[in-house]
Amino acid sequence: MTAELTAALAAEYAAIFAYGPIGVRLTGAEQAEARAAEAAHRRLRDALVLTLDAAALPTAAPAYALPEPVADRAAALRVAIEVERRAAAVWRAALPATTGGQRRQALDALTGCAIRATRWRRFADTAPLTVPFPGKTP
Amino acid sequence: MVLTDQVRSADTRDETHQRVRRRTVLALGAAAAVTGVAGCDREPPAPPPPDPLLPLATDAVALAGRYRLAAADLPDRAPTLTPIAEAHEAHAAELARLMATPTPPAPSAAPSADGADARLEALRAAEKAAYDAAVEACVDAPAHRAALVGSIAAARATHLEALK
Repeated sequence: MTAELTAALAAEYAAIFAYGPIGVRLTGAEQAEARAAEAAHRRLRDALVLTLDAAALPTAAPAYALPEPVADRAAALRVAIEVERRAAAVWRAALPATTGGQRRQALDALTGCAIRATRWRRFADTAPLTVPFPGKTP
Repeated sequence: MVLTDQVRSADTRDETHQRVRRRTVLALGAAAAVTGVAGCDREPPAPPPPDPLLPLATDAVALAGRYRLAAADLPDRAPTLTPIAEAHEAHAAELARLMATPTPPAPSAAPSADGADARLEALRAAEKAAYDAAVEACVDAPAHRAALVGSIAAARATHLEALK
């Protein structure tokens, strides 16, 4: 269980980092969505920090590699979709490693990532809005 | 990547279980037949309980049919509705593979005379019920089924988002 949740924590750190440069390139409703998404990832991080043994906690790196430079709005939307796709994958991987309430939390996290990815696809006018198996890596 | 492999090998294990179970059932059936000849009025062995994922597969097949019909009736919403229908079909196929049973037959989706708003509202309600069922199925699932069932639950949640 710990390895999968530790991986989830690392992904949450990376997502929180990415929403900084993403938010800078967006305005209006899109910027509000970026702020809400960042807050959601902070909540997921905080819950993981409480769950994981303090000795096993990875610390956040000062910077994370983004899938591409966030040069403009279009890139910000692409990166946001990719950030949520990556986070969904680690949460899906945590499902078999958890049971009961922890599995429910991991599923809530996977579902949140999948819903945010759908919202970003709508902002980006990307079709289709949904994927058949959120979090599944090809 | 590694985790995908684990899931895949777990799926294979599940199929092996199914095969073993089938063999066991066959062996039990043969034994019962022999016993039946000897002891006359013996009860036949109880059929195995249905797979707990069967309701999920049934929901997926039924929803796929309803979205296909709605996409045909509401062409301007088809770009949203058709991928959702395809997702439900993919879910039904994966669940059938995991359960090692054929996909349940599709109930014929009833044509509807309702307007677009009412049609979409009915789809939302059905999708929400199916999402709730998938969440509980994921929480209750054994480890080797949790990832697939979790993805199905998350996908159903995104369908609700796409229908907004």
